[in-house]
Amino acid sequence: MITFSRAIVVTGEFLREDFLRLRGILEDHIYAMEIQVDVRLPEGIISSIQGFMKRYTTPVCPKAVDVLQKTVGMSLRDPGWISRVHREIGRQGCQHFAEILVECGRCLDSARMSHDLGDTLKAQPSASPWEIARSWVKTHPEAQGSCLARPKG
Amino acid sequence: MTLSFIRNKVVEVEPLADGSLSIFWRLADSLTEMEMTMKVRLPDLEITEACARIIRSPHGECASAPDSIQKIVGVRVGPGLRKIAGGLMGGSASCAELTEAVLEAANAVILHFTVPQIQANAKGTEEERKKRYQDMLRFNPRLVRSCIAFADDSPLMQGING
Repeated sequence: MITFSRAIVVTGEFLREDFLRLRGILEDHIYAMEIQVDVRLPEGIISSIQGFMKRYTTPVCPKAVDVLQKTVGMSLRDPGWISRVHREIGRQGCQHFAEILVECGRCLDSARMSHDLGDTLKAQPSASPWEIARSWVKTHPEAQGSCLARPKG
Repeated sequence: MTLSFIRNKVVEVEPLADGSLSIFWRLADSLTEMEMTMKVRLPDLEITEACARIIRSPHGECASAPDSIQKIVGVRVGPGLRKIAGGLMGGSASCAELTEAVLEAANAVILHFTVPQIQANAKGTEEERKKRYQDMLRFNPRLVRSCIAFADDSPLMQGING
């Protein structure tokens, strides 16, 4: 029997070509919470953020919702953004809000690539998704350097 | 407006008959699908088995990513795992998602042990619940200042040193 399970869902919706709304939802045996964050592209700057605590463990936990506002103006491309989120949103607010926000931020370029890949395949249905993805990484240096599939240069 | 991207992640912990824990992790999004399974021995929390597979990816380079997961066998779930896993699995030259999978699986193991404590803490009067949280903090001092509920000025912390 499963004694602990966690599910995270992240969605990406382009409000405009230069504005991406990311929503992250976390549900597990202990916690349930949600974040909505609007990000200006391509810089990855958080323009607004909302949080919702649905299931939590202490009466103090909901106070962490206001702490999320510290991220407004922050760039998800700053080299230390993940550490900063864990430090300022996690330790000073809620670790699980921080986990959701980090997951949303890590989906930033995947959401952009998915969006562009979809548009390209509509225009060129027989194109190779691998070639389109490779070309996308090459033409988006801001998305390079995070893993073996997106090397720098 | 319609979505351009959806990601689903799930991690599950299952106690096995031999006393160890099995952890299953899966990521499926608009571009990528991958799975990782891990086995953790109790009580020392050593990772005794790990394997991964890439089911779908827009990048051909990802095919070699599962090879790196074997490097975490022998590592213990505990403080410092982020640095250890990043170093062993190759950092930005490896699969970032599989490195996160290891960390999320480890986090799930810790939360598996936390569930009974949280269930016990939820019972009784407000004062009884506060006392249980303070007992938990005395036993796990790493939790102090780990979030707003356990910050110095939190009502849960009043009288903890008394």
